[in-house]
Amino acid sequence: MSDVAPQPEAAVAAERLTKRYGSLTAIEDLTFSVAPGEVVGFLGPNGAGKSTTMRILSGTMAGTSGCASIWGVSVALNPAEAKRHMAYMPENNPLPEDLRVEEYLRLRARLKDVDAGKVDARVNQVMEDCDLVRRASGRLIGQLSKGFRQRVGIADALLAQPKVVILDEPTIGLDPHQILGIRDLIRSLRGQMAVLISSHILHEVEQVCDKVVIINRGRLVAQGRTDDLRRELLPHAGFTVVTKASQAELVALCTAAEPAATVEDGVATDLGWTRYRVVLPAQSPARETLATTLLSAGLPLREIAEERYGLEDIFLAATRRTPAEGRRS
Amino acid sequence: MRHFRTLLAHELRTAVLSGNTWASAALFLALMGGIHFFALLECSRAPQPWTPVEATFRLFWLPLLCVLPLLTMRSFAEERRSGTLSALLTTPASTAAIVWAKFLAAWLTWAAFWCAFLIFPWIVNARLGTAGDQRLSDPATLFGGLCFVLVSGLLHVALGILCSCLTRSSALAALLTFICLLGLTAVGGAMDSLPIESWSWLGWLREPAAHLRTFGHLQDFAGGILDSRPLVLYVTGMMLSLGLAVLAVEGQE
Repeated sequence: MSDVAPQPEAAVAAERLTKRYGSLTAIEDLTFSVAPGEVVGFLGPNGAGKSTTMRILSGTMAGTSGCASIWGVSVALNPAEAKRHMAYMPENNPLPEDLRVEEYLRLRARLKDVDAGKVDARVNQVMEDCDLVRRASGRLIGQLSKGFRQRVGIADALLAQPKVVILDEPTIGLDPHQILGIRDLIRSLRGQMAVLISSHILHEVEQVCDKVVIINRGRLVAQGRTDDLRRELLPHAGFTVVTKASQAELVALCTAAEPAATVEDGVATDLGWTRYRVVLPAQSPARETLATTLLSAGLPLREIAEERYGLEDIFLAATRRTPAEGRRS
Repeated sequence: MRHFRTLLAHELRTAVLSGNTWASAALFLALMGGIHFFALLECSRAPQPWTPVEATFRLFWLPLLCVLPLLTMRSFAEERRSGTLSALLTTPASTAAIVWAKFLAAWLTWAAFWCAFLIFPWIVNARLGTAGDQRLSDPATLFGGLCFVLVSGLLHVALGILCSCLTRSSALAALLTFICLLGLTAVGGAMDSLPIESWSWLGWLREPAAHLRTFGHLQDFAGGILDSRPLVLYVTGMMLSLGLAVLAVEGQE
């Protein structure tokens, strides 16, 4: 017999989660999950309900209906047990100003049921991991810069080696160097613990996360891996073509390669060159051969480049569509 | 229990290092020193039916109203304002453990203030007392009076903690505590001074009123009478207040 509890399918599971404040619905029928060891970005415009969802998952707020569970434990029915598996860093990361970093982390370690004999070792380890040892460990939290305060919040989240870490805007207000440091730290957690991060910095989420969950007006509009969402939400491939050819010539060549191709009106640049935008279906074979087709036809061509769709485009496309479309997908 | 011990140690440490505690202690000792001085002065002018220590304890409501709200006002209100209470509630520590730790730390601080007051009767006795004459600082009266303020303090401090749970503003929490304690003391005083026994139409009130005579409780304690009824009143009131405080914290977060 092994004492190790079986790993659940989902480290974080929200099932039809709803929160209402009187007549105002903050989130409705929200269903998503985070697998063990997965890093998931939780995205949505301001007021979409991200913080509300995170607070319900962390057990600091009760939902109106639905079920939230952490590592297979219901947050509503067994909050103390759920909290043992989870760490939550709230937005703005509130910390007591009058404690020293090391004292604060020791206190939190004891409250998070870290073995009494291992408290010192864990505190030293997380301070090392979050680069707090040399410049911040003995300082009052009230005297720390925003960046160091965020590091203290993340160190606190990692203290008890939880199965799930929920971070609400962990990089808000940080400078680019600090963001890089936090990003590397989060990346290093992949495989060790499930991480759910909300952030407005989409580029950062794209770099760090395996999957994204996008909500809008309290409802789920998209979830999945970035590549899958790109295929689903952006079914076209766009090309920028700078040429001296007329629009008619370009349309003729493009539709010969792909009948569904469209060419948008060009913008004159300089010395007779014009910039066009050619749109093909994402799955079209012509996507691979368009440059060769145009060159072999002898078209005066200065530039051809495929537009790269990032998470920002996915986010904009997802938040434009209705929640019903999101559920269907 | 482990969480409770950790939180209590943290709260006590915070109380010791807080400027608010030391300012409250200074105000308390200044008030009590002044009251005791004037009680001594009064007794030195003409014979009085009470000892200086008894007279001082009869004015226990003055530091209760002026100092106790300062001690308890920040316990929850400040943590809710700064958001650190939310962070605390994300740990496996229960809300009840948090409320009890803050209560006990505040009550121990209040008890320490009153113990510090004992230095005044001790100084008076050392400088002015004569061997065998205990009128200046009768140990039995001192012990009884101290027991009264500590036992009644259970309810008073719990009320302060409850008021602090109800708002994010420390000033408002202090004002609410002041109003509650004023009401409680005024009702207790009124029960003592009003001739309820002679009002036949208030016959139903006699029994409950007998339990609420705050100054009567003080006299009983100071006189060495240990009645279980005030104990039950103050402990029940404390449990009720702390239970409501737990519900208030859980409801608001």
